[in-house]
Amino acid sequence: MIALRALSVVGWLRFARCQIREYATLRNLSTTDNRQLTTRGPLGPRPSMFAAVSLALATLAFAQTTPPPPGPARPIQWPSVIESKLGNGLTVVLVPLHNVPKITAELSFLAGRGTAYKTEPGVAQLAARVANEGTATRTSIEIKQQLRSIGGVLTIGVDNDATTMTASSLADFAPKLLDLLSDVARHPAYPQSEVKLAKTNLAQEIEEQRSTPDFLAQEELDKALFGAHPYGFTVPDPASIKNVTRAALKTFAAAYYAPNNATLVVVGDFEPASMRAEVERTFGSWKRVPLPPAPKVVLPLRDKRQIYVIDRPGSVQSTIIIGAPAPPRRSPDYIPLRTTNMIYGGSFYSRLTRNIREGKGYTYSPYSTANLRRAAGSFETGASVRNEVTGPTILEMLYELDRMRVAPVTAEELESAKTYSIGGMELELEAQSSLASRISSIYIDELPHDFLQTFRDKITAITPAEVQRSAARYFDTYRGAIVVVGDYKQIKDQLAPFGDVKVVK
Amino acid sequence: MKTARLWLAASLLACASANASPADVPVVYDKLPNGLKVVISEAHAAPTVTVAVYYGIGFRVEPKGQTGFAHLFEHMMFQGSEHVKKFEHAKIVEANGGNLNGSTRLDYTNYYETLPSDRVETALWLEADRMRSLDVSDENLKNQQNVVSEEVRVNVLNQPYALFEWLDLWQNANQNWFNAHNFYGDLHDIEAAKIEDVRQFFKTYYAPNNAVLTIVGDVDAAAVRKMVDKYFASIPQQTIPKRPDVSEPAQTKEKRIKQTDKLANVPAFAIGWHLPDQNSADYAPAVLLNLILQGDDGSRFYERLVKEKQISIDWSGGINYDLGNEFDYDGPMLLVSRTLYKPGHTADEILREVDAVIHDLQQKGPTARELADAKVRFRSNYYDALETTAGKANLLAAFALFRDDPSQINKALPLFDAVTAAQIQSVAQKYLVPENRTTIDRVPAAKEEK
Repeated sequence: MIALRALSVVGWLRFARCQIREYATLRNLSTTDNRQLTTRGPLGPRPSMFAAVSLALATLAFAQTTPPPPGPARPIQWPSVIESKLGNGLTVVLVPLHNVPKITAELSFLAGRGTAYKTEPGVAQLAARVANEGTATRTSIEIKQQLRSIGGVLTIGVDNDATTMTASSLADFAPKLLDLLSDVARHPAYPQSEVKLAKTNLAQEIEEQRSTPDFLAQEELDKALFGAHPYGFTVPDPASIKNVTRAALKTFAAAYYAPNNATLVVVGDFEPASMRAEVERTFGSWKRVPLPPAPKVVLPLRDKRQIYVIDRPGSVQSTIIIGAPAPPRRSPDYIPLRTTNMIYGGSFYSRLTRNIREGKGYTYSPYSTANLRRAAGSFETGASVRNEVTGPTILEMLYELDRMRVAPVTAEELESAKTYSIGGMELELEAQSSLASRISSIYIDELPHDFLQTFRDKITAITPAEVQRSAARYFDTYRGAIVVVGDYKQIKDQLAPFGDVKVVK
Repeated sequence: MKTARLWLAASLLACASANASPADVPVVYDKLPNGLKVVISEAHAAPTVTVAVYYGIGFRVEPKGQTGFAHLFEHMMFQGSEHVKKFEHAKIVEANGGNLNGSTRLDYTNYYETLPSDRVETALWLEADRMRSLDVSDENLKNQQNVVSEEVRVNVLNQPYALFEWLDLWQNANQNWFNAHNFYGDLHDIEAAKIEDVRQFFKTYYAPNNAVLTIVGDVDAAAVRKMVDKYFASIPQQTIPKRPDVSEPAQTKEKRIKQTDKLANVPAFAIGWHLPDQNSADYAPAVLLNLILQGDDGSRFYERLVKEKQISIDWSGGINYDLGNEFDYDGPMLLVSRTLYKPGHTADEILREVDAVIHDLQQKGPTARELADAKVRFRSNYYDALETTAGKANLLAAFALFRDDPSQINKALPLFDAVTAAQIQSVAQKYLVPENRTTIDRVPAAKEEK
């Protein structure tokens, strides 16, 4: 499709889809619509700037020169979230949503893609990839045929923190869907032939991903910000994949795919009591295991800005990301930073878009994101621009970032960001998949379980001073990293003024 | 919550048969005196509303010699109207808690916003203002020419494969210029557009009698209908030019294209077959045939090429691939397959296996189980398309724009449930033949020494 604005950063889609929860949510605005069929509570007070519509004007239909006021306020209706724990430690969260006769189940394990990467790079990704290619009692093709007969899909993704098995089907077949999900989670068999094929294909996919500038830039930024921490690991070196054994995958699954390491979220058209009984039936006899200790967070400390360049001769654009360290999602700084991000570059009518897109025409796809994870986070802003405006774009980004740090935002900007944040959360209630991943992130990131219910109050309380403090602390590019993927010969002189340049490939 | 209870009851009843329980989308449909089609559908599962305007102009029929103009124009609709300054559309929607976008497709251009449902009137006012009074300057045009040029670079020119599975495939598979030009546009053409072209295009195509206004969400249909009158009824209609002939002469010989790609590391291959007309009896069987061939990673192409022969790394494809779904277009269409394959293998090997899969279907037809599963898969996918207010708005708008009957949203599923194995076999014999297809083999260019 050809759109006014990118719904997702191009080239990233495959790589990012299960990877960055907040990011995906932000960029998947409106979760539309034109999905290929064949392949696969009320708001706060309305912004004061629109308060001045007189009744007289409103009746003069065609002469109306300002937006009409919103309709009468309604009570906020967050979905009912029913939480419980099975005897084996599995956290179960049921969220009825009767939008279409389907259900979506998300089973997530604390097992990120960097788990054990130092000794066995890629083991988490391969374990996830082959888990639905055969169980103790079902072959790969049997799993797929049984899914198809219930209108089902089962995918397994691995992001920084979690391995997530997402399954959906027609609501009529919920028991069958849970049977399949449970079987894949509890009894993956890792047939030798499937392991071998997955290893070959993963190596090829990594070659393919490494031909897209967005992937290269993101991989380099994570390395720069997180160093040897598991978050610094994106994909294994294709040559090393052959060393991962079937035994290692089985060991990995046995250690991490366990009920006391998991959260099961079910969203959709069901009745909670019978769904709870189905979950007990399919997951109740699963045995808990002793869990490996969580990795210690040691983040690299940076005392100056560093520029990393990946040379891509012949590139007709520079792909730029500026990043800086940010706190874990559970930090009290999360909500203010999220709001600060919206004003800077996290919404369409943001300062960044107004400047480098609608003002200067440097780019189609400027963005920013507060990419906060379980153990640590990053603030990131980027754009792809024609070669000759590479330096000017970095200059404008740094200017807009610093402007947020030295002066308060206007009351109008903040009010708008608040309404946008709360409205955006309401929009996530439309789709089973977006609601399921929002609920899952509450558990994976250790947020308060009343996150949705208290979201509006927390957003409403933010002050301009808090926004400025948040920017001062987390938009600190003087201790951040700038990654540029582009034709180095053409952009070299434009980069030099911004700091030390290191050409990494 | 009436709809929700209805579904729950339906799903309890339906346990014995997967074929019951049609999703019931309420539809209120009429036309204003100026020709504007209006569709309103209440949906109370979430406190949101989508307001969408679909104009009956897509890139398929943009002016000759001005490739990419329909899409460039889409950007201009955010550059200001009489009461909404440049880019303020985005400002107002977001300040009301909503999201927005616009997109250009083969046969329509759409503009939509999804908001908390108490803001519905604001969205209607915004859409009416720009339907009535686009107001753009030379400066704003120049700005968006730059933005769109960067869009073409970021999505096409700076990416491996460069969207070859539709941009290049359509240009090579078709003969009629309307189906066979560069839909995204040549940079040269995009940069040559003039402000007079923009104003003329607006006057010609962006009239109420060439549009559908769709409102889906947690609203009262009667109240919304009054708001529609208030804001849209006085917008004057225009004389809409006759649609050019987009029909495509029958292909008589197989076309095989080879391309090199300077940015790719892994070879890719795409196939496009011409599909039967949407109104023909062959269409519903063709849709299910597509699901049997490539509806998921247990279907025939994936099993044969990725799992059994291990030539391909992945497999994807479909009808209106990358651009929409089975219903939201109006004219000639391709069935597309796209795959990345392993170095050391060849396009000939892929085609040999594809032909073997097709040959088997042509000889024996689908199994009873494949047929039943394809129908369930179609139903499940269809519900996905109905899940969000924007998804429902898309289907309702397409049915209103192209068939003047949005209630078809509730009539589609039975058509597919009625398809037989013999029909699918016959469609495979008729359309999945070499002389009806175009292929592109896109291989990495030899890397020069750095």
